Amino acid sequence: MTTTRVHALAEFLDPDLTAMVRRMAYRPRPDNGSADDNPAIRAMIWQGLVGLGLTGPPPDTAGPAADGAGPAPVADSPVGGHEELAAITERLGAALYQGPLLDTVTAADLLARGGRDLPGDGGVALAVRADGAASPADPGAMTVDPTTGGIHAERRFVGFATEVDHLLVVGTTDDGPRLALVPRDHPTVTVRRHEELGQGELHHVRLAGTPAVWSADGSGWSRALATARIRQAGYLVGLARGAFDLAVAYARERQQFGQPIGRFQAIAFRLAELSVHLDAARLLTLDAARDADQGRDTRLAAARCLAAAADLARTMTTEALQVHGASGLVNDHDAHLFHRRAAIESLWLGSPTQLRAEVLPLLREQLR
Amino acid sequence: MPLFTPEQDKFRAEVCALLCEEDVVEAVARCRRLPGGEEPELLDVYRRLGERGWLAPNWPVEYGGLGATMVEKAIVTEELIRHGVPDVTHGLSVDIVGLAIALFGTDAQRARLLPGLARGETSAAVLFSEPGVGSDLSSLRTRAEPDGDGGWRLFGRKIFSMKTQFADFAVAAVRTTDTGVKYHGITLFLVPLRNFAVTMRPMWNLTEDRMVDVTLDGVRVGAEDVLGEVDEGWQTVNRFLGLERTGVDTAAKAQRLLDTVLRQAAATGRLDDPAYAHRLLDLTARVRAARLLAWRCVTNLVEGRPDDVQSSAAKWHVTEVFKELAVLAPEFTGLDGVLDARDADAPADGIVDAAYREAPGLTLAAGTSQIMLYVVATQGLELLT
Repeated sequence: MTTTRVHALAEFLDPDLTAMVRRMAYRPRPDNGSADDNPAIRAMIWQGLVGLGLTGPPPDTAGPAADGAGPAPVADSPVGGHEELAAITERLGAALYQGPLLDTVTAADLLARGGRDLPGDGGVALAVRADGAASPADPGAMTVDPTTGGIHAERRFVGFATEVDHLLVVGTTDDGPRLALVPRDHPTVTVRRHEELGQGELHHVRLAGTPAVWSADGSGWSRALATARIRQAGYLVGLARGAFDLAVAYARERQQFGQPIGRFQAIAFRLAELSVHLDAARLLTLDAARDADQGRDTRLAAARCLAAAADLARTMTTEALQVHGASGLVNDHDAHLFHRRAAIESLWLGSPTQLRAEVLPLLREQLR
Repeated sequence: MPLFTPEQDKFRAEVCALLCEEDVVEAVARCRRLPGGEEPELLDVYRRLGERGWLAPNWPVEYGGLGATMVEKAIVTEELIRHGVPDVTHGLSVDIVGLAIALFGTDAQRARLLPGLARGETSAAVLFSEPGVGSDLSSLRTRAEPDGDGGWRLFGRKIFSMKTQFADFAVAAVRTTDTGVKYHGITLFLVPLRNFAVTMRPMWNLTEDRMVDVTLDGVRVGAEDVLGEVDEGWQTVNRFLGLERTGVDTAAKAQRLLDTVLRQAAATGRLDDPAYAHRLLDLTARVRAARLLAWRCVTNLVEGRPDDVQSSAAKWHVTEVFKELAVLAPEFTGLDGVLDARDADAPADGIVDAAYREAPGLTLAAGTSQIMLYVVATQGLELLT
């Protein structure tokens, strides 16, 4: 599906900018001698994405949610449909984009369900997990101070927490699920950057009585999470495609034993096989997105396509490194960036094992 | 797995006891938290193993070993890895270069080079790959020019070399004669590295250990530095690369990672969840099988009948199993597994992160998985011929 916005994004992410985007959130450690101008590049990219109108909420053509969380449909969404969003996140994944866009879209979705707009263009980071093993379907504990209304919560693996204006805390309180939008630069917010494999921007965040600028019942989270998972699946399909494209190009170019290594069946057949898996995961994702556009309950379809895309992304990035030989491991090359990011992105909205376990009851229901 | 003799069990316990000493444990922990750009070199624990003859127990006593067998050597490798001691320098110096000198070197070369390696006082590297030259090593371009004095001067560029910045010397594959026949005219040289004609540039990469880009700009080697026969290095190279292919080291790494993952899974209750438990159980079988395939190669060596097909099969299997486990491990540990050793919250000193980054290189180094399968298919199954 190519809409004006998808097309505009494709033009924006031209090869030169893509090369920059792939490394804009990457902090190589050993050779860290150069000045870190990446925050400036990230800010520029963010402005570009805002300018393309990508930060609005997805449409909710479903009407009042079946689970009774009942937000009004958003009639005037600036973004097309879920299918378009999946195509957009696929392009972002291929460019290995890292930043608060996907979180911001999900936040916009949750705010829109409550009849609110995003508070400005500063971006929102989702703060969901209390620990790294938890599924985002099971948000961490959150308490609301009965007198001040301040939010208390500890969250780990919050993306780009230092570069957004707001955090949207998704939490479980004694009174059930709850959402709270808090300003990130409030003195009660402390942030520590994780040292991790992706060398990106993941933070440990503590809120000690932070005033919420908006707060709402959180029962819409599971449906918002379902469509966020379709976007994440799109991102992972794109990530896999980015790694695949590098591997195919290298197989055509790299000569060993007097011919391009792509002439060897061991390489060619493996890449051919992966190309089919890539198509399959992509179609599965777009299919789930179309279900969402039809207003269907997409929790099962979303989990299925995300699990498939996550499994593929890890396999693809590993295989891409194998095709590249040692040269793909070197920092100068992009192949290893895909491998690093796949580790985090494949777990980001639930690992494949978690996703499958979570939706198993829905599959049983279908059989009834 | 061979049935270990009581002496071998006792030897393993002694090695384990040394590696469990407090100062060794502290030194190992320090290695994991080195600042970026620094990496472990010759550790004091190597010297302590070396003074007992334990770094290279399979070498003769006169060269710093115990005169024992490859079984004892493999026991040391397993224990080093099980205790988290960085093993790259040891593997390169003793298992690869040292073993090649022991097998193909002259008595003078053995006497000159092996004792230092066995004592953990010197280390060695390998200079094989070049830009554009990897699996197809016979197309290498680094050349040796006779210096008119019975020696040669070496010119060329070698890449993806490990621990070279710490090494005293390296084994380099160099073209001495260019007849147009690729497999003739290659010579292996023992090249001094602490030399003005050798320059090194780090190649930072996915792992913590840099790879090194080495330029040889006229470094001199003499007849005494030739390993094997002049121009007949190709056969030696092939035997040389097969030597290290027992896979004992990678199998031990897989076991260590699996133990960590299992402990994490038990602590978080995931071991009781069939969604995780069935896969974990399958992985315990595969890691066990990897160790058995690796030890079969050790047994072959001890019995004096090295088997290329079995060693290629083992190398392929253990590295592929390790990679599969390493890529899946964050699934079992959750996002905490992606934290590296420098993050205070990293489980088990960040070994899940380290394995994820190390695994892709293991199916490439010292013979890619594709080359291993080629050996199994051609020599083992008489296919593709």
